[in-house]
Amino acid sequence: MNKRRFFKIFITTFIVSFIILPIIISNTSWPTLARDYLFSMAFDETGASNTVSSIYLGYRLLDTLGETLVLFVAIVGTMTILSNIHKQSLQSIETYSKLPLEKRAKNSLRTNLVEVVASKLGPIILLFGLYVMLYGHISPGGGFQGGVIVASAIVFLALGTEVKTKLTNSTVLLKIESFSFISLILVTTYVVFFPNGFFCNIYTDNTFISASIIIILNILIGLKVGTSLASVIIAMMGGQNDH
Amino acid sequence: MNILLLSLILCLSIFSLLAKDLLNSIIALSAISILSALLFTLLRAPDVAITEAAVGAGVSTIIYVWAIRHTKRKDQDE
Repeated sequence: MNKRRFFKIFITTFIVSFIILPIIISNTSWPTLARDYLFSMAFDETGASNTVSSIYLGYRLLDTLGETLVLFVAIVGTMTILSNIHKQSLQSIETYSKLPLEKRAKNSLRTNLVEVVASKLGPIILLFGLYVMLYGHISPGGGFQGGVIVASAIVFLALGTEVKTKLTNSTVLLKIESFSFISLILVTTYVVFFPNGFFCNIYTDNTFISASIIIILNILIGLKVGTSLASVIIAMMGGQNDH
Repeated sequence: MNILLLSLILCLSIFSLLAKDLLNSIIALSAISILSALLFTLLRAPDVAITEAAVGAGVSTIIYVWAIRHTKRKDQDE
């Protein structure tokens, strides 16, 4: 190992731990005001029994909209870069994955092991992702988490199965993404027509209907995140054109 | 238990910095994500744990592997 490199890493670790050390050894108690307020008021004000959901889809909905916008810009940039990459390398990967198993190149994306594991695990992970997405107002999870799990399930299905379905078609996925993003913007901004204020829940009558806007937002965010990430990864693996 | 997990994470991150083969670094990063998810679960933050496991061990690993397929796998000697 290079001695100079090791010295650099040692110095960096030392400086970082010197900065972090006062935080670790300090004995100050955590502030409890916001925690107690959320514990007593979050369910009544937003209708979500999961407090994290009540924050990011109730009190801080504007931040969530901005985060979705950041992800959208990242996806657009990635797709633009990917469309300019030389077609030759992508073409070779795709032709390899269509060959029978013994004729594929050694570094091909689809091997025997990947096919067996991914095709069996894919539907189960898809179901779990939909569960996390739909029950985000009650159990841990929510739109982003469920969407990422759905994205990995779609990637598993695209890697593992021979059959080309609509679910692994990049064009269909991008259409779903655009539709859900427009619906998300409409759903988050329609509250301006009500007297409660901007970005807030209009149903606060403490019944099951008061969580309905959070369920709708979770589904839309999950669809958007899942389809956009899955379409980017499928485009990276070289399958954006046909099937 | 937290100290053990944190020291494992520290060892794995130093290994992923120093490894010559970049695929080993990626697998170490994935293991860091799994250990972090376990740590978040122990600290009673299951939301963050789900996100860490799905993003860190799933999606970002795929993207890193795709990236090193198009570049050089081995680190160059200085």
